[in-house]
Amino acid sequence: MVRLYKKHIPLKNHNNIFLGLIFLLMTVPTQIAHSQQQRFPKPEFQTEYQIPETERPNPRAPFMEYLDLFLLLAVLSLTTWLVLKKRSRKWILWVSVFSLLYFGFYRNGCICSVGSLQNLTLSLFNEGYSVSFTVLAFFVVPLLFALAVGRVFCASACPLGIIQDLVIVKPIKLSPWLQKSLGLFPFIYLGLAVLYAATGTDFIICRFDPFVGIFRMGAEFHMIVLGISFLLIGMFVARPYCRFVCPYGALLKICSLNSKYHLSITPKDCINCKLCKDSCPFDAIDFPTDEKENRASRKDFWKFVFYAALIPVLMFVGGWAVSGSYKLLSSAHPDVYLANLLVSQPELMQNTENLDIETFMSSGKTLEILVEEAKIIQEKFRFGGWFLGAFIGLVIALHLLNQVIFRKRSIYEANRGDCFSCGRCMDYCPVGKPEHPFFKDKPEMVVKS
Amino acid sequence: MLNLDFEQQMNETEKIKRARQIAIIAGVFTAFVGVLLLLNYLQIKKSDPLNSLVLEKLVERLSSEPNNQHFVEEIRQVDLLMRKAYFTSLWQVRTGAYLMLFGAIVLVLSLRVYYSLRFAIDQPSADQIKEKKKRQLTQRWIGFSGALVIILAIMSAFFTMNHLKNYEPKKMLVHSKSDDESIEKVEIVSIRTTEKETDTVIITESTDVEVKQPEVAITQQPKVVVFNEETVKKNHNAFRGSWGNAVSSSTNLPTSWDGATGKNILWKTELPIHGYNSPVIWNEKLFLSSANTSKRVVYCYDRNSGKLLWEREVNNIQGSPATQPKTTEDTGLAAPTLTVDGEKAFAIFGNGDIIAFDLNGNRVWAINLGVPDNHYGHSSSLLTWEKKLFIQYDTHKGSKVMALSTETGKTIWETVRTNEVSWASPILAKIDGKFQLIMLANPNLSGYDITTGKQLWSVDCMSGEVGPSPVYGGGLVYATNEYARMVAVNPKTGEKVWEDNYYLPEVSSPAYHNGYIYIATTFAVVACFEATTGKLLWEFEAKNSFYSSPMIAEGKVWVFDTGGKAYIFESGGESKLISSPELGEKVFSTPVFADGRVYIRGIKHLFCIGVN
Ligand code: SF4
Ligand code: SF4
Repeated sequence: MVRLYKKHIPLKNHNNIFLGLIFLLMTVPTQIAHSQQQRFPKPEFQTEYQIPETERPNPRAPFMEYLDLFLLLAVLSLTTWLVLKKRSRKWILWVSVFSLLYFGFYRNGCICSVGSLQNLTLSLFNEGYSVSFTVLAFFVVPLLFALAVGRVFCASACPLGIIQDLVIVKPIKLSPWLQKSLGLFPFIYLGLAVLYAATGTDFIICRFDPFVGIFRMGAEFHMIVLGISFLLIGMFVARPYCRFVCPYGALLKICSLNSKYHLSITPKDCINCKLCKDSCPFDAIDFPTDEKENRASRKDFWKFVFYAALIPVLMFVGGWAVSGSYKLLSSAHPDVYLANLLVSQPELMQNTENLDIETFMSSGKTLEILVEEAKIIQEKFRFGGWFLGAFIGLVIALHLLNQVIFRKRSIYEANRGDCFSCGRCMDYCPVGKPEHPFFKDKPEMVVKS
Repeated sequence: MLNLDFEQQMNETEKIKRARQIAIIAGVFTAFVGVLLLLNYLQIKKSDPLNSLVLEKLVERLSSEPNNQHFVEEIRQVDLLMRKAYFTSLWQVRTGAYLMLFGAIVLVLSLRVYYSLRFAIDQPSADQIKEKKKRQLTQRWIGFSGALVIILAIMSAFFTMNHLKNYEPKKMLVHSKSDDESIEKVEIVSIRTTEKETDTVIITESTDVEVKQPEVAITQQPKVVVFNEETVKKNHNAFRGSWGNAVSSSTNLPTSWDGATGKNILWKTELPIHGYNSPVIWNEKLFLSSANTSKRVVYCYDRNSGKLLWEREVNNIQGSPATQPKTTEDTGLAAPTLTVDGEKAFAIFGNGDIIAFDLNGNRVWAINLGVPDNHYGHSSSLLTWEKKLFIQYDTHKGSKVMALSTETGKTIWETVRTNEVSWASPILAKIDGKFQLIMLANPNLSGYDITTGKQLWSVDCMSGEVGPSPVYGGGLVYATNEYARMVAVNPKTGEKVWEDNYYLPEVSSPAYHNGYIYIATTFAVVACFEATTGKLLWEFEAKNSFYSSPMIAEGKVWVFDTGGKAYIFESGGESKLISSPELGEKVFSTPVFADGRVYIRGIKHLFCIGVN
């Protein structure tokens, strides 16, 4: 039979996959990703036409890399000043627009702190892979800033966050239980990203970056749909990716929780006027605590002990469960995937139309070796699964524990972990602003308070 | 002062109005561009040059005339055109995306302006639930979510298949080159000795204890497989026996039985899923297939004991459709009969899946031929010879015949046919010392060279929806179909020898023996004709209609009616009914003969009939 061109036959996943929310998010798209690796083949006509050599672009000039880093530092420092001293939402907004244009649309969302964590992980686990100074800096600098002054990176440097911030139109309030349970996901995603990077499987954060397709004006159809969906949802649920997906945000959150100087809603002392109460689109404002409840909460002591004791248990159960799911987790690795495919459907070895299989067949490797390699990778997943599972167990336990710890609070203040330092709430605070509508309309209330 | 306030107010309302108008326009624009983009995207999918039907058709045609420069030129032109169209569409999508981005930016900006202008500090909302309650609820939900994650992980551990675990390098040997060579050597091996071995196996095996013996024999000497005219004649390895010619070489067959009392029923076994195909046999193993909309299965039975040796679900085939094509109740997805080449059993299903298993149930290869467009369901059975697997693939979307390599499933040749969709099965007939593949469809009966796939002859002689397969005997090919005619064609000259239309079968195929043609019709008549002239010699009115095809064995004509009643006639020019035993179960498939036993697939059970 004469064949003039090769047909694209996407690999199909054949696993008996149980599709749950988490595992759907982590594996199915990875398998879709396999189809992305297929290339548009050139026609196989025999003509005089000489197919030109493939050109590879040179790496970005070092100078430009340092420019990126310099701009990042500049943006973060400027934002720090705007947040802490100038207290201007308007200026923060303009700085963030600049970052969106530069880091997002001009630099195409790459270099990216969010993804850099994977490069770093891979370089730690794979000796043959090293990261440049800039990548390291992009990973560390925002975290250091978070440790010092909170998530200023999210406020005005991260293109992913900014694009969501700009589309906020009418944010709705989410119940705390929903926020907190969805808030588990970034940590799970973080753990998965580390596991996948450490095993050299894939950079899932980049693969499923919903906005990079918009920055680059082109991506796989489903990724564009995902990006647009996030933005549409983001009009009403502010920054959904930041709050419920972003794994780097999880790290920033931890750092920011311990930040030394953090944005405060009020420039001086909180007068408990409650005006800023509903001002945060991200529900990141903590309210003063109720004295009565405070007293009642002492009863929670035993719950605290219970949750504390739960930590090792959950870590063990999580480790056991996730390590047991190594088959599913590892099936995203191209070698494991191919080995599984060829063992279950040996006839595919004859299929020269599938580029992945053809590449494998022409590599001269035997199926036996491939299976051996795949088994080694599966072992890595089984081992790594213990850590991932223990981490997930720990996160769950700590989240529970956090719910029974009662901190006394007498003012309205930004939650250091959840606050993106966007500065919106500052505009609401009447303190030090005589022209504020609050004073205009209801002067008597000031007297009362 | 008052005036100024008023003016400002006006400005505000004006601005709000403007912002709203702009937002609406931008929204409509963005949505419009979005819809256009989506349409364009679908268009791209369609015009993707890699999946173009037109190109495929052209390439297909080129394969039948590989040297036609004109075709090559045409294909190049079409390919170029499609690529151009494709890239133009891509350009359009890109432009559209920029337009949409622009629209979206304007929309968001205007919306923001709109909302901020209308902005007023609201009266702070009152706390609804108490902090403590909130916290309790939160704990519960964190607990739920955490448990969900862990449960999902545990479930995935149980529900994910790990094929690597069961991987044994030996199993895959079938694909290695050395094995191919050893198969080549097989032809040189002395046939006699191995045949005797199989013979002894058959004789000694009648009890359950020895059932395993053939399996052992096969695994111990996997290379001594003989597939030649002699062994094929001994084995009922395809629909209507060896080469599909409706003749069996079996002897000592029982002529009486009774399904109700169990008389001469050696065993019967329930078939879990229904299917219309007939069993096939190789030595001690019997194969058949079943299908419903959710799964397709191949079964292998020990034909001595009726024990199920293995069953394999047919899945994970690349290109296999996720939803099964619609078929009618009386055809289903498992109408085509399997075939065996001594080493492998091959099965085809109504969704275009075709699969090869070795006789121990290890999958060797599988492909999907593309879903056949057939309003009843694909029903043409498989045939194998000379390491080729022949498939008559006559569908509404074009017809073709192809030969796949029995080793790899790769296409060896493929010839486009010009007829309508059909339901008949091919047969192999030795003409002038060489096997030909003969097929019937509307409108032609034709013969093909099995090495090259070239059409050798073709006679336009049939019409309607062709179900019955042809039969070869006495130098002539006989073809028939209800509401059309019965013809005898000389395959050497392509000339019609005679034609008649008195009795015509609808589903059941004719049989030939010693100068006589036998048919069984849907109107419950068995009829015999003189093969050389077409003269009707006798007719017999049965109880029920016939779907099952008559078979010739031991000089007798065997045929089952749909009620399960069998009619056994002496073969000859006079009607001599020997017996008409009842099976007690509906029958649509064709009987199979081996070593003094009759195997028949009923609607629910598989029966083995012999003298007990
Ligand atoms: S949470 Fe993540 S995505 Fe959002 S702004 Fe921060 S780093 Fe960027
Ligand atoms: S700065 Fe204020 S409004 Fe912005 S995220 Fe933090 S608390 Fe919310």
